[in-house]
Amino acid sequence: MTARRPSLLLLAALAATAAAGCAPRTAYLWGDYDSVLYAHYANPQNSERYLERLGQIVQKAEVEKDRMPPGLYAEYGYALFEAGRLDEAITYYKREREEWEESRVFMDKMIRNTQRLKENRPGPPPGGNLPPPAGATPGIAPAGEAK
Amino acid sequence: MIRRGLLLPLVGLLFLSLGCAAAPPQKDYTAFRAANPRSILVIPVVNNTTNVEAPGLFLSTIPIPVAERGYYVFPVNMVKRVLEDEGLSDPDLVHMADTGRLCNLFGADSVLYVSIEAWTAQYMVITTQVTVEFDYVMKDGKTGDTIWKEHKRVVYAPQQQSGGSPLAALVAATVQAAVTKAAPNYMPLARQANDEVINTPGVGLPAGPYHPKYGESPNSLK
Repeated sequence: MTARRPSLLLLAALAATAAAGCAPRTAYLWGDYDSVLYAHYANPQNSERYLERLGQIVQKAEVEKDRMPPGLYAEYGYALFEAGRLDEAITYYKREREEWEESRVFMDKMIRNTQRLKENRPGPPPGGNLPPPAGATPGIAPAGEAK
Repeated sequence: MIRRGLLLPLVGLLFLSLGCAAAPPQKDYTAFRAANPRSILVIPVVNNTTNVEAPGLFLSTIPIPVAERGYYVFPVNMVKRVLEDEGLSDPDLVHMADTGRLCNLFGADSVLYVSIEAWTAQYMVITTQVTVEFDYVMKDGKTGDTIWKEHKRVVYAPQQQSGGSPLAALVAATVQAAVTKAAPNYMPLARQANDEVINTPGVGLPAGPYHPKYGESPNSLK
């Protein structure tokens, strides 16, 4: 646990320098997507933080819609799904599908599965080892809320 | 007369061999062009090293450069989790699975298989040498054929400070080694390896449909 901190700090520092420095203009607005993913793998139990940071990237990228990275809506939707927020998950899967025709098959499947889960188990979160974020935990609600 | 006849082909041969030596290595992109993928499914990487953090770190560095090359890249973490739910939590199993079936599952045109071959920090007296090595193979979802592959090894040894007293340089290097020791810094190396593999003219990944240079010869990348 303590051994991880320096590596995360270093990563954050690096990301900052990369962002501030010579970063060339990218086609998409990735934010710190790679660092967020890595932090999630290094510290998987902190899924709330992962969800929150992904939400921030989505929100920033939405300012320039044509620079929304491929896969980002879906990645965020899945993080919402894992947090038990099924309706919002579906919303973001649909956005991914609208934005990227290549995602259609996959998103159709995920939307269908999520809807089935919703019907079978209204209320509780989908399976998995994540505890349900009780109805009112506004603390983790990212700004990129589904309407 | 006879001499001349002999000399000319010889000179020609010489030019040919010179030309070959000067030209950068170039790939045959025929299969790639025939497949013409729009989307790439990046599956969890096979780890042939003992470093347990390597696969997660690598996986987080690969979507950006591939997508920036002009392809739709499936959300890597979501794909990983969905595969786990399908009973494919072991990357070795995923890599052994039929490419066509994988593509059908996600509606993908192609699959990118990556294995990590080296991920080491070699500690020396006053510095640390960090090495990463990856193997990249891209397969077509329709035929299962390999349409692109690359291999990359990147080695990094922190440079000693120039200027200042020798003692200061020694201290700086020691500090650097300590930092590297506590948290070997692989992220920039993985990024560098990916960038070189994807964007090197003549061997890299051809520009995809979302790239302004889509359709141009891969030999004039960038």
